[in-house]
Amino acid sequence: MRALRRFMIRLGNFATGHSPDQRLREEIAEHLALQTEANLRAGMSLAEARRQAAIKLGGVEAIRRRQHDEAGLPWLENLLSDLKYALRLTRKNPGFTAVAVLTLALGIAANTTVLSWVSATLWNPIPGAAHTSDLLTIMRGNRTDNPTPPFSFPDLLDLSRRTRTFSGLLGYHHDYMSLTGVARPERIYGALTTANYFDLLGVHPVLGRAFLPREGAPHAGAAVVVIGYGVWQHHFGGDPSIIGKAIQINRHPYTVVGVAPRDFTGSAPGLREELWIPLPMDRDVWGFNRPDYRGIFWLNVLGRLRPGVTSAQAQAELNLLMQGIAERFPEDHRNSPNAISLDPLWRSPFGINGYLYKTLPMLLALAAVLLLLACANVASLLLVRSVERRREMAIRLGMGASRPAIIRQFVIESLLLGLLGGTAALVITEWTSRGIAAFVPPSSLPLTLGAHVDQRVLFATIAVSILAAIIIGILPALRSSRLPVQSVLKEEAASVSLTWHKSRLLSGLVVAQIALSLVLLVCAGLFTRSLRKARQADPGFEADHVLLASYELSPAGYTRATGAAFDRQVLDRLAALPGVESATLADFSPLSFSLHTDYLQVQGYVPQPHESMEISRAIVGPNYFRTLRTALMAGREFTAADTAESQPVAVVNQAFADRYWPGANPLGQQVTDGGERFTVVGVAGNARYRFLTLPPEPVIYLPDAQSYSPTHDTIIHLRTTGDPRTVAASLEIAIHQLNPDLPLFNVNPLPVTMQLGTLFGRAAATFAGSFGLLAMLLAAVGLYGVVAYSTRQRTREIGIRMALGARKGAVYRLLLGQGFRLTLAGLVVGAVLAGAFTRLLKAQLYGVSDTDMLTFVSVGLLLAAVALLACHIPARRAARVDPMVALRHQ
Amino acid sequence: MKQKTDVLSGTLALMVLKTLEVMGPQHGWGIARRIEQISGDLLAVNQGTLYPLLLKLEHEGSIASEWGASDNNRRARFYRLTAAGRKQLQAETRYWELSAAIIARFFTVKAEDLT
Repeated sequence: MRALRRFMIRLGNFATGHSPDQRLREEIAEHLALQTEANLRAGMSLAEARRQAAIKLGGVEAIRRRQHDEAGLPWLENLLSDLKYALRLTRKNPGFTAVAVLTLALGIAANTTVLSWVSATLWNPIPGAAHTSDLLTIMRGNRTDNPTPPFSFPDLLDLSRRTRTFSGLLGYHHDYMSLTGVARPERIYGALTTANYFDLLGVHPVLGRAFLPREGAPHAGAAVVVIGYGVWQHHFGGDPSIIGKAIQINRHPYTVVGVAPRDFTGSAPGLREELWIPLPMDRDVWGFNRPDYRGIFWLNVLGRLRPGVTSAQAQAELNLLMQGIAERFPEDHRNSPNAISLDPLWRSPFGINGYLYKTLPMLLALAAVLLLLACANVASLLLVRSVERRREMAIRLGMGASRPAIIRQFVIESLLLGLLGGTAALVITEWTSRGIAAFVPPSSLPLTLGAHVDQRVLFATIAVSILAAIIIGILPALRSSRLPVQSVLKEEAASVSLTWHKSRLLSGLVVAQIALSLVLLVCAGLFTRSLRKARQADPGFEADHVLLASYELSPAGYTRATGAAFDRQVLDRLAALPGVESATLADFSPLSFSLHTDYLQVQGYVPQPHESMEISRAIVGPNYFRTLRTALMAGREFTAADTAESQPVAVVNQAFADRYWPGANPLGQQVTDGGERFTVVGVAGNARYRFLTLPPEPVIYLPDAQSYSPTHDTIIHLRTTGDPRTVAASLEIAIHQLNPDLPLFNVNPLPVTMQLGTLFGRAAATFAGSFGLLAMLLAAVGLYGVVAYSTRQRTREIGIRMALGARKGAVYRLLLGQGFRLTLAGLVVGAVLAGAFTRLLKAQLYGVSDTDMLTFVSVGLLLAAVALLACHIPARRAARVDPMVALRHQ
Repeated sequence: MKQKTDVLSGTLALMVLKTLEVMGPQHGWGIARRIEQISGDLLAVNQGTLYPLLLKLEHEGSIASEWGASDNNRRARFYRLTAAGRKQLQAETRYWELSAAIIARFFTVKAEDLT
């Protein structure tokens, strides 16, 4: 309390500039007078009395100083005067300041950009949910790149009832629904959820309520819906009395009971759900009875850990419970793995984080390397400047400035640069943070990747700026505070310099810059080559000249029979369009994360216990392989003659045949899917449908006429003779002639939608590439600056050399040689660093080794060439100088 | 030769407060003089350190000051104890007495006392 009072008064004095100096003067005068009188009384002479009084009082200046310090806040005062000085210095050298601030800004912005993405995805996996760190994604089986929903509703209910480690488990299944009965019918991604969905996530509707337990009760359920904020705004004009009103979803009426908060987009990171309906309504929404079956695995499950429970304990418990369930219902669980794996949401296999959690930390590491390089660059600038300021510092030290005071001055100057850089970086980040969305092509997935500068990014920027400031300020500060004052002051101005070979530190910084930029360039090279390899890889189909278009028949009122007939009509009409070579359809499109899977029984193959028989299953129309130009290795493909009445047939790919019938003839073998037996009539070449960079997996193709379901999207594939875009208009007209009200969506050439499959490769290549180029530029500028500075310092020496007969060529070679040696050292260090660093990238590379010689050598040569150019300019200028001018140079 | 002990840092504030309690309002020189007197001239108050300390105590609210007339009718700054300062003095006095008592026990302790 007393300390606070004292602080406030001092702060007040400091702010108002109030000083008790006058009062102290008077007090001291009085004090001396009284002491002198006392001394006189003791019998001293007047002069002696005064002298003794003054001695007893002590140094008046020192007292005043202490009084002044007590009156105000000396540290704040010093800080402000240092800051004022730093600001003056900054303004005096606008060029230096601009270069330093810009360099730092680029380095910091690289980090904050990636951080803004991390913040929007890994750190904030479910916007609007509470305590997402307690939430775990629950999977059956090992983690895969292509997980499918792992639980059935009865299994989930059993687990929920028995678990003691989770305070609750929620399940959901999401897919497209259609909002019908409104002015503009729209396909909206929505989810069927357990009744505890919102409560467990900690999401409170902004209007109305979440689901009641009875609304999600098995075999019961209620036709109620919670709508997303966006749906509420766009379709219902933000109607405040929406609660209790009925809306139509897939042509069934639902009562709106709640409106979700604005930022809530569902529980799968990066995917935007906008409608939520209780699970038992599956029949109304999608026409299935999946909640009733124990053997249908269609739910994603999240659990909230009880306080104090570890993930390992929870996993052990769920494993036990799941084993029990599998033993009681062996029929339903035989062909799927029952071991539980848990993942925190930041690396949840469902949603976008499953991919980003590998890519983003790597980008962050690259950005950190760039920042380090930027710091080395600015540090070398500051070091050069600190040499020029040696005299100033020596004078300060000579006048009694303490070493901490000198260090403080430097630190404040670099802090100023760092914070200016950070501010500029924020401006840049505000723009670049949106860059991640630019990599997402038009696709059938409701991806939401909205990164922006949020509070976390702001704090991170400040922290990174201060860190950068410390890195760049510490070297010049320590050096300057250790100056041998006497010798510096005695030195002549001309010799107050650091010569090239003496300045190991400066050379070290240049070597570091070259080395770090080599690291970044190598990464950039590897990613670029990997991306090119992936693009050149044979996907097993020809994407050029293929146009895609989608429609969905079930919301439009089609049944199995009418839908199949409609599809056939569409194909006939499209195949006859001018410019169309052939037409087919499928329930997926390649490389856009839309291939489905199913649990199959393969005749003649005995699965290992708990081996997953979940296999990619494509439903395709006649002429699919001809249209996509996928090779047929044996047998035939589907034709219009394969109908619901004819024998069920299937085509498998080579990988399927090799995996399940090695050495046997696949033709004539049988596969059971959903109780129906399909006979294999053809073997297709392997095609990559999920990732270009993963080895082909087994795929089974079934004819649409025989395993037709109107609930999945129908995706039309047209092979065109010319630019596929030119056919888009006539395709739309042709379909609308058949049904004018059927919405057509995702009309895009296949190469465009395939971009999704290389999303992360492209993002990595683009960022590593721009970081690499930036790094090379910074290193070149840094090298140029140091060589130019050292030649300027050596002007006199060069003059003497030339006066003594050295030729221009020799001087040029001398100067270039120094730059070259540094470059070489940097390249060697960089190659070692890069070799270690690229090991981290191994998993992300395709078709390129992480120690790819070609990349290392070509990138090294490029960097060497740029570095030599940076040395060449100042060296040539120095070699051309007139020796007489050089000799007179101060 | 008798060496004058420098005032222990931290104790000077206590001495100033006690002096003001006993002697009533005093000017700076008066306080310094009294402290030396009370200590029997064993202590040499570095008079210069007194003024920043007085300002500090004033900031903390333990003492207050105002201009007045000294004995020979010159203008002088007089310091007096405030109510808060009186409380602080009492608290610190108890603390010092306790500390002194503890130290005293250590000096008088004998081996047989501890068995």
